[in-house]
Amino acid sequence: MRIATNAYTDSMLNQFNLLASQQQNLQSQVSTGLRVQAPSDDPVAMQNTLGYLANQSTQTQYSANIATLQTRATSVDGVLQSLQTISSRAGEIATSAGSATNSQSDLNNYADEVNTLINQVVNAANTKDPSTGKYLFGGTASGTAPFSTTTDASGDVTAVTYSGNTTVNKAQIGAGMTASVDIPGANTSGTGPRGLITDSQSGADFLNHLISLRNDLTAGNTTAVTGTDSANLQKDENNISYQVANNGVVQNQLTAAASFATSNGQNLSQMISNSSSADLMTTMVQLNQAQTSYQAALQSGAKIMQLSLLNYIQ
Amino acid sequence: MASRSLQTQMAGVEVAGQNLANVNTTGYSRQRVVISSAPDLQTSAGPEGTGANVTSIQQVVSSLLNSQIQTQASASGYANAQQTAYQTAQNGLDEFLNGSGATASTSAAGASTSDSGLSGQLTSLFNAFSSLATSPSASSQQAVVGAAQNLATTFNNISSQLGTASADEDQSVSNDVASANTLLSNIAGLNTEIVAAQGSGGNANDLLDQREQDLENLSGLTSITTSTNTNGAVNVSIGGQTLVSGNKVSDTLQTYTAGNGHLLVQTASGGVQLTLSGGTIQGAIDARDGTLATMQGNIDSLASNLITAVNTIQNNGYNSAGGSGNTFFTGTNAGNIGVSYALSNNPGLIQVSSSPTTGGDTSLALQISQLAGTAQSGLNNQTFGDYYDATVAELGTALSDANTQVTNQTAVTNMLATQRGAVSGVSTDEEMTNLMTFQRAYEASAQLVTTINTMMGDTLAMKTS
Repeated sequence: MRIATNAYTDSMLNQFNLLASQQQNLQSQVSTGLRVQAPSDDPVAMQNTLGYLANQSTQTQYSANIATLQTRATSVDGVLQSLQTISSRAGEIATSAGSATNSQSDLNNYADEVNTLINQVVNAANTKDPSTGKYLFGGTASGTAPFSTTTDASGDVTAVTYSGNTTVNKAQIGAGMTASVDIPGANTSGTGPRGLITDSQSGADFLNHLISLRNDLTAGNTTAVTGTDSANLQKDENNISYQVANNGVVQNQLTAAASFATSNGQNLSQMISNSSSADLMTTMVQLNQAQTSYQAALQSGAKIMQLSLLNYIQ
Repeated sequence: MASRSLQTQMAGVEVAGQNLANVNTTGYSRQRVVISSAPDLQTSAGPEGTGANVTSIQQVVSSLLNSQIQTQASASGYANAQQTAYQTAQNGLDEFLNGSGATASTSAAGASTSDSGLSGQLTSLFNAFSSLATSPSASSQQAVVGAAQNLATTFNNISSQLGTASADEDQSVSNDVASANTLLSNIAGLNTEIVAAQGSGGNANDLLDQREQDLENLSGLTSITTSTNTNGAVNVSIGGQTLVSGNKVSDTLQTYTAGNGHLLVQTASGGVQLTLSGGTIQGAIDARDGTLATMQGNIDSLASNLITAVNTIQNNGYNSAGGSGNTFFTGTNAGNIGVSYALSNNPGLIQVSSSPTTGGDTSLALQISQLAGTAQSGLNNQTFGDYYDATVAELGTALSDANTQVTNQTAVTNMLATQRGAVSGVSTDEEMTNLMTFQRAYEASAQLVTTINTMMGDTLAMKTS
């Protein structure tokens, strides 16, 4: 076949372009670590990778949600612990005060202590979430303190009003999984989450029971103290124990969901890597091959282009 | 006889020189001098030679290769136009994976792979809502509005980029039509010159080369059909309409606006709307009305479904103060989606409570975040993310196919160019050899003149002596 003079240069240029673009492509794979960067590199892998990335980001969000809930659950747990202490102290008072050896002055001292307990319970029930500044036990009602009190002339609490509601916010902690660590302060509806202080399902009404204990103590009605009050306080203690146990269950659920989200995230990382990452070893070998070919093409080209009949005729 | 021989060999040298001079001329076909022996003189001793004549200077061309090259030029033009269009669209979509080389090993965890495009921002919005549902604070509200604003801006950018890409295609159609008209008029002009030159028994080799170049350039713009008249003129028709007939341009191309505001092509005076095939003109039209239009449609559809879905939930809710009446997203498509002015100014007005009396309720934020995993009937029953990912893959496939086409076409074009080079290309080695051959022959003929001169001298000397 005849070879036109410019056939060399033309085909050499084409070859150089091809090899140079191969090199550039492989070099970019090595430097980014990605086999797929643009949709056209591998449309299917790109589609999958975008899906995995979105899923991974969602798993990260689940983890963040779980961490938020865990912090809040710890706050709730702290309140529950102190309520438990108050409740058992109230139970002790009810038992001790019932003894016949107590004078009215002793009973009055007990009544004073119960007043302190009442205030402690009100404070505990009005605890705010340190991270959001929202009340922990007001349900989803807006930012006013859920428990407000009415006091008499001597400053003793005579009545308590709950201004929260009985619904709680739920947070997503996994695909199709929601959880809530919030407890409404009171629930007298008989359905939904049980109330912390007042709950019709368990018969708990801690603050009112404490108020009536104090009133009975002040009135010297030891029969009521050992009878009704003591029995009522037991219900309150049981309700608080239930809430403690429930908080533990939710915390376990959160821990499980957290490790699920983490392991999902890791699996997705692996899948993202499989579908979009460059295999460094293979890529480097290919890059070396491309470089060698490029060098060979340049060298042979430079030699051939120097050759011509003109070199040999005078 | 000797002087005729000198002229003949001189012609050979000249043709070799012409070939050498045009070694780098695009589209030049090498020429060959055809020499034949001159008619004999009948003498009593038999026929006596009278030397050699130049019969013609021929072009060495393969019309079959030329017509194949024209066809492939149309195919290349089409593929190139599509590649350019899809590349612009892919850049406009701005959906690229980022990574750092650090993880590129066989055991790469891929943790550094990230995506800065719409897909990531869509997830960010739903995540921000999820975060708001979990922890209803001012900063979460701010984060939701921020994520929504980013997403809306990206939608706007993509829409505008795809619009620009589409407008670029129109511009390219319009430019190509102008170039095609110039080429048509050049071809008609060359026809006139070629017919004139050949009619007077002359040689039109270089004009033929120029016309072949013009025909190939025109083929790159759109597929053409040619036929050659006996007088050497070439007729050109495009889309079934004859545009060059002999030495005159019978009609030209013109763009017209189709109903959708985009340009198509018709004949200028005939007004016949043309269905073109091949070439950059149709490549641009098909890319514009095909994949680019689908992209724009999908992105608009994604935006409008998102606007409806989020607004349906948010607009029926109440803010933490129990108020309502603020829409979340404004707009109806990717081009005009935005976050409402009121919410942008005051993220605290976001309405994620289901009742005016439960200001701390975030159940609607949870509902909106759960839209991320909900199949949308308006999006082929895909989730927002899946629908978008599929759209990205569709464009990726189109571009990847166009890239393959261009690579294949380049290979075919290069192969044909090499084949044509083998037939018509100038080889300096060959021309140098020819040059030496004719030089030697010239020397020999010159020697004949010297010999005859010497002999004549001898004869004259005989007479005077």
